[in-house]
Amino acid sequence: MTSFERISIKNLTKSFRNFDGGRNTIFENVTFELDPGAVLRLTGASGSGKTTFMNVMSALIKPDSGSIFFGNIDITSLSEGEKDRFRAENIGYIFQIFNLLTPFSVIENVYAPLAFAGKLPGNHKDKALDLLDKVGIKEFAAKKPYQLSVGQKQRVAVARVLFADPPLVFADEPTASLDRNSSELVKNTLLELNKKGTTLVLTSHDSIFDDVKPDIDFNLETGVLS
Amino acid sequence: MKYLFILKAVFHSISHRKFSVFTSIFAISAAFAFLAAIGCVSFGLAATAVNSSLAFPLIVGPTGASDTTLVMSTLFNTDKPAGTLDYGFAEKLASDERVSAVFPVARSDSYMGIPITGVESAYINEISRGFSEIGDDIEAHDIFGENDRKCAVIGSKVAARYEMKTGDTFFGSHGSVGDEDAHLHDFKYKVCAILKPLNGPEDFAIFTSLRNVWKIHEHGHHHEDAEQENNEVEEDHAEGKITAVLVKTKNPVFTAALEREYSENGFTSATDTGRTVRKLLTYMNKAEKAAGFFSYGTLFLVMILVFVTILTSINERKREMALMRTLGIGKLPISLMIFFEMFLISVSGIAAGTLGGHAVMAVFKSVIDFELGINLEPFFFTGIEIRGMLYTIITGVLLSLAAMAKIYRMDLVEEIAKE
Repeated sequence: MTSFERISIKNLTKSFRNFDGGRNTIFENVTFELDPGAVLRLTGASGSGKTTFMNVMSALIKPDSGSIFFGNIDITSLSEGEKDRFRAENIGYIFQIFNLLTPFSVIENVYAPLAFAGKLPGNHKDKALDLLDKVGIKEFAAKKPYQLSVGQKQRVAVARVLFADPPLVFADEPTASLDRNSSELVKNTLLELNKKGTTLVLTSHDSIFDDVKPDIDFNLETGVLS
Repeated sequence: MKYLFILKAVFHSISHRKFSVFTSIFAISAAFAFLAAIGCVSFGLAATAVNSSLAFPLIVGPTGASDTTLVMSTLFNTDKPAGTLDYGFAEKLASDERVSAVFPVARSDSYMGIPITGVESAYINEISRGFSEIGDDIEAHDIFGENDRKCAVIGSKVAARYEMKTGDTFFGSHGSVGDEDAHLHDFKYKVCAILKPLNGPEDFAIFTSLRNVWKIHEHGHHHEDAEQENNEVEEDHAEGKITAVLVKTKNPVFTAALEREYSENGFTSATDTGRTVRKLLTYMNKAEKAAGFFSYGTLFLVMILVFVTILTSINERKREMALMRTLGIGKLPISLMIFFEMFLISVSGIAAGTLGGHAVMAVFKSVIDFELGINLEPFFFTGIEIRGMLYTIITGVLLSLAAMAKIYRMDLVEEIAKE
């Protein structure tokens, strides 16, 4: 796990252009700091901008203004290539859907991000198989994503995060549409990572996460940070 | 390792979209197979024409015969002769000190559409590379002899097509190939020898002696008085008549001088075989070029189609590419994937079409040779084909770069976020 010191969000603003030419502000002048191993919970109704905030925070889309420091590095000022490398080495994602690359097999999905970054460890296949074993789908290693259930796909995404072992994980509704067992597995894995020092940014409407106490709760609907 | 994984991703992506990739490769292959066929056929035709033109540098025929008619009716057996000459003319030509040999020919009957040409034994000696079969009582160097007993010497392909062997007999149709009023008569030919393959029009020809041609005609005149009135000039083979003389000269300067003399005397026409064949080849070359341009145009359209297919697939895979960006997979590896994908499709199409086209030519070589008399060289690569490959690779690279640039410029996540 590569590590960085605290994450500092400063005066972050994002808006989208409306069809009528006006602008729809998603969030405005957001400022907070996250220590390593902290949990940031994003709340708000569907469409309130939780995913957009995650995309801005991970430098996938540009903010209108503001900066995001990971330690001393302002990732909004990095070049596209540097941002790509930064994400590959520091950030893991678990989404509700569209988690896997369809042409690749399950095991290739686990190590694809590091393979594309040219950072694969020598024993990558063994390590990937161990992690698939840990999430209970080792026997599906050679299958293609379309051959898996929603729950199994989500387990692959979890194994991918574990493989990269990033210092920051974004989990966007990670247990939506999952059965109880799969939801428990995802939740426990995320908490296990968090205990080991991984910073967690989480959005979820699932009550299974009710007992997770965030260090910061940011309601995108009201704009209130608590 | 990184680039190996990108290539692996390309193969995965291609195998994931089998149908559209197969369709694209098939379209390029079909155009290349067509180019391969054009190349093989035109090379085969040209080789046959050149082989045939080397033996007899000058052809002299009756007045009014064009250069093309003289060549086509004598060397290629595909055109009707323009008229007749006296046999005595050939003897006079032979006595010219600039001439080394003369070979009088007389087109006569046909058998199953194959012209039967009257010649002397010397002509058979000139063109032959030996006989695959010859009758026991036949002298190889004087095939027709003093009394040729209705002897017919047949080309290798005639023998193969009609399963003929020495001693077999057949009846000729009176009149030349293509005549509507051609009819069977009772002159029975006997196969006395079968020529070894010559890879030229002679393989698909039947030869008999000049005496036989004259005899048949005398016979025809006795039995067909009513028709005699209407006989066309090429059928008028009274004794001693021939339709052309193939001439070997002592050097090319004499060929030019003799051609001029016998073209301007008002009684005969003459042509320099090499020049006329070159002219024919130039026309064939033009036809080949026209077919080539048509193929290049088709190829260009096919490449545009492949490009559009790739662009459509980019739109279909936008979310997947956005996920790749999310996972830290850079713009360059994603763009390279698209570049390699299109490049691979182009190269696979070229390879499959070229190999397939030549393989099909190899498979059908004997059929085309047999049916059309074109001696194909199935694994000969012509300029038109090599140029086609270069143009397609260049177009493929340019379009791949365009697709790559489109991906590189796209802000995938932003686009999906807006949706």
